[in-house]
Amino acid sequence: MNYKARSTLTCYAAILPTMALLLTFVYLPVVWAFTRSFYAFEVGGESRFVGLANYSEYLSEDPTTWTSVVNMLLLTLFAVTARLTFPLVVAKLIHSLPRERWRYVYRLVFLVPIVVPGVAGQLIWRGLIYSDSGLVNEFLRWIGQDQWVHGWLSEPGTALICVALVGFPFVGAFEVLIYYAGLSAIPQSVHEAAAIAGCTGLRKFFQIDVPLILSQLKLIVILTIIGSVQGFQGLIILTRGGPGFRTTVPGLWMYYNAFSFQRMGYACAIGVLLFLVILTLTVLNLKYFKSSESIQGAE
Amino acid sequence: MTAGRIIRHGSLAVIVAVGVWLLWPAPAERPDDSRAAAGGAAAANVRFVIKFSPGQAYYPDSRPYGLGKPLKGLATVVRNFEARFPDTRVEVLSTPSVREYLVTQLAGGQAPDIINVNVEDVWTDVHKGWYVPLDGFLEAPNPFVREQGDPNLPGARQWWDMFRYQAISRGKAAPDGKVYNITFDMVETGIYYNKNIFHELGLTPPETWEQLLEICRTIQATGRIPLVMHLGAYHDWLMDLAFDQLYYDLLPGIDLLQDPVREGYLQGYLDWDELAFLHAKGFFNRHDPRYVEIWKRMRELKHFTNRDLVSTDTIREFVTQKGAMIWFHSALSYRLSGDRELGFEWGVFYLPRFTKKTSPYASGEPMCVIGGAATQFEVTNRAVSDTDPSLPIAERMKRSERLKRVVALLQFMCLPEQNQRIVCEYPAFVPNIVGVKGLKILEPFERILERRYTTTKWVFTFDLRFSEIQQRMLILYLTDGIDLDGFLDWQERNLAAACANLRRRKAMDTAKLEAAWRAKAPARAKAEGLPPAVAAEGGS
Repeated sequence: MNYKARSTLTCYAAILPTMALLLTFVYLPVVWAFTRSFYAFEVGGESRFVGLANYSEYLSEDPTTWTSVVNMLLLTLFAVTARLTFPLVVAKLIHSLPRERWRYVYRLVFLVPIVVPGVAGQLIWRGLIYSDSGLVNEFLRWIGQDQWVHGWLSEPGTALICVALVGFPFVGAFEVLIYYAGLSAIPQSVHEAAAIAGCTGLRKFFQIDVPLILSQLKLIVILTIIGSVQGFQGLIILTRGGPGFRTTVPGLWMYYNAFSFQRMGYACAIGVLLFLVILTLTVLNLKYFKSSESIQGAE
Repeated sequence: MTAGRIIRHGSLAVIVAVGVWLLWPAPAERPDDSRAAAGGAAAANVRFVIKFSPGQAYYPDSRPYGLGKPLKGLATVVRNFEARFPDTRVEVLSTPSVREYLVTQLAGGQAPDIINVNVEDVWTDVHKGWYVPLDGFLEAPNPFVREQGDPNLPGARQWWDMFRYQAISRGKAAPDGKVYNITFDMVETGIYYNKNIFHELGLTPPETWEQLLEICRTIQATGRIPLVMHLGAYHDWLMDLAFDQLYYDLLPGIDLLQDPVREGYLQGYLDWDELAFLHAKGFFNRHDPRYVEIWKRMRELKHFTNRDLVSTDTIREFVTQKGAMIWFHSALSYRLSGDRELGFEWGVFYLPRFTKKTSPYASGEPMCVIGGAATQFEVTNRAVSDTDPSLPIAERMKRSERLKRVVALLQFMCLPEQNQRIVCEYPAFVPNIVGVKGLKILEPFERILERRYTTTKWVFTFDLRFSEIQQRMLILYLTDGIDLDGFLDWQERNLAAACANLRRRKAMDTAKLEAAWRAKAPARAKAEGLPPAVAAEGGS
């Protein structure tokens, strides 16, 4: 066996355990979930083939479906908007600082909170900010506006908005760093050319910076959509999808069906539908949302 | 071979080895493993390692509410048991109380041998062989009592006889008629009230529901929250109490089946099949005036309780005197009595009865018991892990030596002298073992527990989906997010789905129920306010 063949073999052998783990814990469960979505199936119980009945029930009979889909779309839309704007503004402000030392300090300041687990953040919002004796209500009582005191997460009129606002001011370290990297990658010559052409301030931001970081924006859009459609951990902690189903999303209902109601086949069907939604949105995003490279190529 | 190649190949070997180790299935526990797990020469004789998850209430070295000395009672009893059986080691574990954890552990046969969960949560899975029915053990003598030689001691004839609250303990039988838990102690709810505020406003504990509402109005006028409640108090407790108050008079006509064993204790309890049958006959919908009354009375009470039913720290509202009353379970007595800075005197009264002014369908009977079993120990399939898993659970029970030892631990913990060490160390719950004297602080709850048992338990009768949806829509209804019609619309669909699910999963003797329904037609014919579908057929 020559050196090249041995080297190739070694490389394949090195990635074999990773591939085995990936196959076992990622791809096989996906295939398993897909097949199980055609069964009425409980953990530990008997399973029975029901064809498309789970899909049909979810799409036509389940009273939570459309409420939860609308909630998911609203929360996703809000999350995409928030993550496309607030972190970008912060990244631009940091990038605009004249001295590298201060740019470093601010990058660090925004990065440090990333070590706090998301669950801890949700618990803080639920217990310290939104609860009956939390920051918001106590402040309202302190200024004598008791009539504005609410059960922010338990009242139907406020729950969804409050869930969406968790994480304010929406400056996630990950997004800031991605945008900052994109802004840093814009060649100095482009800035100089813009300055000579008199393109400065907001005009430069929208006409030069934003088009040149479209790849980063696209990445954040895709990740936010995937996260919002799949994610329900925050909702479990904050509201459990209530009051009623006012903050329920399909992912959360899938979780309840799987582990609480033990309707595993039904939950698998919801999971497969969510996968299709994510796949569709991702394909649309890749197809119609131009990247900075394609813009530069077109020029 | 160069150092670089050694490192490269070495790293590769380590990665492959770790990968294989991670993917290698864990071997099933064998007696030899237990011995090895115990470790050391002293543990060489250990045949059984019993994993015991007692829940939070009596967990060794815990300090409930941060008060008092660390708890030692359970650890002492476990040591006594191990001394009695040197071939057995008991590991006391703290396990997550979430259902997801339990389901996955039980499916893999890895849950602790003994767990403490509400047995109603167990019922939904009993047909999967995850839990061991304990009837055979309960109907036989407790060996630790029998060996004392006195045939008159409770437990010498049947282990069952050791339990003080028979109706509640036997009422925990699953819908399949079998008992899957040991009711170790009792909890009861009551309304704790601030005596200082009551004295200041000239109030006394109410005798009727109207008096309670009047008291609430008086307190509300002072700017305080009259009654602090959490959502479960509506969804679970008040639901069953109101149902009992409004349907009690109808029982002679709707209590269709009498369980030959449990009836003597439960006195007219409506089981799942009776509820499902009555639902099919036209009860429990918007056309059933009693059923509608339940929700109306809840909404009425909501005006006097805390606005936020979910995130309010209810105990905090009471101890800071923002709330004058709180509906809570008996463990709060321990919390209040240990608070040196409380600043007021407190008392306990029970929910007063509905009258004809409350509702034309009120029976006028005193409110029944709504609490009941607190610590409920179940034996899981791990206890029979020394038998062939492919066998039915009944066969595994016959063959398992390990199961006998696991149950022996429960039997040992029911001996009065052992039980007292555990239950009376933390005065939150009322002892359920004959011969164990409860503490003075819990006397009000002992008196409440002497009342008649509830007519049914709605939340625990049906599947968890029913319970989840009812709870969600109830909070929406109580917080004005949906009107009564909208709520009833949800509830009707929810109950119909739950009844259909029950029929699909369990055998329902419809012919027997139908015969009983016809036989009880005369009793229904005299009743007022029947649903139109029932009244139209003259009660038959």
